Amino acid sequence: MRMRLPAMATAVIVIVLGGWWAEAQWASHRKLASLGNLDPRGSYEIRLDFAPERFHQLRLQEAGRLVEVRERTVFMMDVEPAALRAIAGEYWVEAVSRWNRS
Amino acid sequence: MTNAVALPALAPPRLASRRVTRVLKGAAGVLLLLAAWQISVPLVGLGSYFYPSPSDVAAAFVDLMRKGILPVYFADSMLRYVAGLSAGAVLGVAVGVLIGLHRGIAVTLSPLLKFLFAIVEVAWIPIFVVWFGYGIKTIILALVYVVFFPVLYNTLVGVRTAPQILVNALRSLGANRWQVLRYAIVPSALPGIITGLRVGAGFAFRGLVFAEIIAAKTGIGYLIFEGTQTQQTARTIVGMIVMGLTWLAIDLCYLRPLERATIERWGLTVDAEQRT
Repeated sequence: MRMRLPAMATAVIVIVLGGWWAEAQWASHRKLASLGNLDPRGSYEIRLDFAPERFHQLRLQEAGRLVEVRERTVFMMDVEPAALRAIAGEYWVEAVSRWNRS
Repeated sequence: MTNAVALPALAPPRLASRRVTRVLKGAAGVLLLLAAWQISVPLVGLGSYFYPSPSDVAAAFVDLMRKGILPVYFADSMLRYVAGLSAGAVLGVAVGVLIGLHRGIAVTLSPLLKFLFAIVEVAWIPIFVVWFGYGIKTIILALVYVVFFPVLYNTLVGVRTAPQILVNALRSLGANRWQVLRYAIVPSALPGIITGLRVGAGFAFRGLVFAEIIAAKTGIGYLIFEGTQTQQTARTIVGMIVMGLTWLAIDLCYLRPLERATIERWGLTVDAEQRT
């Protein structure tokens, strides 16, 4: 009886984390659907909802080589598919498209 | 034939209504503080860098959530906190039981432990950074250090105050050392261990902020530090509020019920509710 509150709190945490994870998977799938097959080490434009801060740049640098930041868009090279899926799952990433470096 | 006399019913004060009253009074205190804070901002007349208003802080909270910074920092901090707390508690209980059971080990380790206890974790962090670099290892070690001592001392007291009559009874029934530990010493030490854990958990929360300020690039402690560095004081206050609320939630949802349940099951029979 006394341990009902900890059990309920744990259940809430598990549900929130599960929901968060499921939403990230769905968001990643939705944002990358138009790209088709992903290159083993591709170049991409990552568009955010806002101008990226240091936090976002560091997070993106973990996924590949950050080449340039132009207003709300971050240009990246050498991004592996798994890393791109993880980045696309972030809710602060608005859209992902291929970067044709010509 | 007897006449039954109806005594006036002395209804005990209802626990639920008492709780609601307590919550309402607590909420009123918080609202009063917020109102005073908001009113004082134009009177003080300083910029939001020096003295942000509650609305600035609320806006900073929304911004941090929208940009995904706060959830990641919060998750990082909690991960470090749980890891450090768990490791520190396990180590503290193990060493506490060992010292409590063996006089020789107690004599050998006592001066060293007293010496180490006097050195606060903040003093260790720069050395940990040199040894383990910036990041999770250093932070977890600092937390282990903070949690270890309160758990150790409370475990020690619990082990040493285990009822000797119970230990003797078990021994006379042929119990081995493990059974004495399992059925007499650990149960009687549990209330002390849980109290130590609760105290250590509080210390660890403070230690987490220190450690993240010095040795991390993410986390709520880092947010508190970074806010002032980037002249976003409202973000610092968001970090402080998140810290405070998280501690309240941990204490309310986990530590207090755990302590209450342990005391009721193995320790004193007073209602822990009355003590808080």
